[in-house]
Amino acid sequence: MAEEAKSSPAGGGNFSLRIRGPRDFYGGLALIALAVFALWAGSDLAGMRGFSFGPGTTPRLFAWLLIAVGAAISISGLFVDGPPLESYALRGPAFVVCAIVVFAVTIRGFHFTFFGFPVKIPELGLIAATFLAYMISVMGGREIRWKESLIAGVAMTAFCVVLFRYLLQLPFPLWPAF
Amino acid sequence: MSDLLSNLWLGFSIAGHPINLGFCLLGALVGTLVGVLPGIGTVATIAMLLPITFGLDPVGALIMLAGIYYGAQYGGSTTSILVNIPGEATSVVTCLDGHEMAKQGRAGAALAIAAIGSFFAGCVATVLVAALGQPLTKVALEFGPAEYFALMLLGLIFAVVLAKGSVVKSIAMVLAGLLLSTVGSDLDTGAGRMTLGMPELLDGIGFTNVAMGLFGFAEIIRNLEASGSGRDVIEGKIKGLMPTRQDLKDASWPIARGTFLGSLLGILPGGGAVVASFASYTLEKRIAKNPKRFGRGAIEGVAGPESANNAAAQTSFIPLLTLGIPPNAVMALMVGAMTIHGIVPGPQVMTKQPDLFWGMIASMWFGNLMLVIINLPMVGVWVRLLRVPYRILFPSIIVFCCIGIYSIDNSPSDVMIAAIFGVLGYLLVKHDFEPAPLVLAFVLGPLMEDNLRRAMLIARGDTSVFITRPISGVLIFISVTLLVLALLPMIRKRRDEVFVESEN
Repeated sequence: MAEEAKSSPAGGGNFSLRIRGPRDFYGGLALIALAVFALWAGSDLAGMRGFSFGPGTTPRLFAWLLIAVGAAISISGLFVDGPPLESYALRGPAFVVCAIVVFAVTIRGFHFTFFGFPVKIPELGLIAATFLAYMISVMGGREIRWKESLIAGVAMTAFCVVLFRYLLQLPFPLWPAF
Repeated sequence: MSDLLSNLWLGFSIAGHPINLGFCLLGALVGTLVGVLPGIGTVATIAMLLPITFGLDPVGALIMLAGIYYGAQYGGSTTSILVNIPGEATSVVTCLDGHEMAKQGRAGAALAIAAIGSFFAGCVATVLVAALGQPLTKVALEFGPAEYFALMLLGLIFAVVLAKGSVVKSIAMVLAGLLLSTVGSDLDTGAGRMTLGMPELLDGIGFTNVAMGLFGFAEIIRNLEASGSGRDVIEGKIKGLMPTRQDLKDASWPIARGTFLGSLLGILPGGGAVVASFASYTLEKRIAKNPKRFGRGAIEGVAGPESANNAAAQTSFIPLLTLGIPPNAVMALMVGAMTIHGIVPGPQVMTKQPDLFWGMIASMWFGNLMLVIINLPMVGVWVRLLRVPYRILFPSIIVFCCIGIYSIDNSPSDVMIAAIFGVLGYLLVKHDFEPAPLVLAFVLGPLMEDNLRRAMLIARGDTSVFITRPISGVLIFISVTLLVLALLPMIRKRRDEVFVESEN
């Protein structure tokens, strides 16, 4: 089976027991992981003070309940037959996410430090960001026709500029600013 | 009664204003478009259009958004019948018999019955919303924090029971949604909770980002992986839009039953249009003299569910407008739309903004009338839209969603959060988890926590307050009973039969 992004190493194949419902088993483990992460992230929050709730009370309550239900799902995945894991597609999700992220970082520019090196992504503005995001998403499809997509991309960009910038008057930077 | 009439008159005079009629028409058109196009749902569309409503007058904005929701119910049936592709999860069952009818050359009759049924249901639901609004608002004023908490708990349990697939997994999704909703500043102390030191998370995770990720992006990622299904469009001119007298006779009772069932399921928290259409189909099949006709072009299989989903789409406004509690994800977005305009949904809307309340209700009737006109004569136009290939459509949807999310707060990090939820939504679907309960819980989370904390504070830490107060006690009792019933395996099995094909 292909990459199981969220599986924990503990779920590996060392058991003599066969995992009968892997979808449930790993899904439950992922939920437990989420809840444990939330408990860790919220470990600094105060709990109950007398009979009044502190900021940490409800998150902890929900997290522990989620751990319990996640465990129930995982355990049932061990013993009850279920459908096998489906293979994960990589191409579609990768390009779609890439397109969205490129849009997010280029619309206003983005600064961060990567291992001590400052990285600066310039602000490209609405036109370039929209067109870039369109063309990157195109690559996630099963069938790519460049000429057609280019025309559609230009048309969509023009449509968005007219709609958001001129009709709705939202404050977007249109052109790149360096 | 005279109160109701004078209120409705106020509503009609506001909704009949040319500008509001224009918004209503726009909403109905966009809704039909969304309903027709598969791969783009109501939730994602309303989320995308939220920023557009910024500059509008609140009445017009809400009239338009409401139009999108019930308009999508009409549009979805068109593609189900003609192309066998449900444009909307609510019209999945319409495919079964509607497309069969189209193959037998009765596409016109199926479309007409779907439209007539929807129109009838829409009219009844409009009156129902108007009539139930006032008494329910009075009930809402009696509600304290304990009652609100119990009511929301009931809503979440309904969402769990009515979702497809495993009950335990739906419960897990509800808990995950509640947990995610606690990220951000604490209401009482202002302490940042689970923000990982990121200032962007202090305001919490935005609902539109979650909805757009789980319903918009995840849907696209999933569609990209599905093999290109052959679209078997009914070619040639659709003739005989008028149903025969026999068709009308066969369809009249299913329409009435569907309207009743849909109205009921729409009001219930956790219900909504999807559940209503499935329930109606099951009901029609069960009470039919000859159930074997279903799936082979039975007109009852079109009339019932189509009336039910439209009725439910409209009556689900009742809990939102009277109690301030959104019963499903679409209504949760309406909360967002109202908040943008500084309106707090709840019982005070009716007293403080009667023009908004009654105008919106009356606009539903106008909207339904417009939809019949949009849908029947213009069927050909909508079908032609289906020829737009998905490879052009999906990048457009992605780009549009990105700009929409960004413009709500001018925040690039919101766009990233939506992308994360897109991947999460894809993984959830791969493991047979339903995103709908998660989203509902995410919306109700802060309200629930607030009411829980207040109830506990008032009762000085005594948890029995939820059981000893009569209204709250009854609600908790119903919740527990429902949950126990759903967890009993026998009932679960039967439930799976009913909702085996639900998508949303």
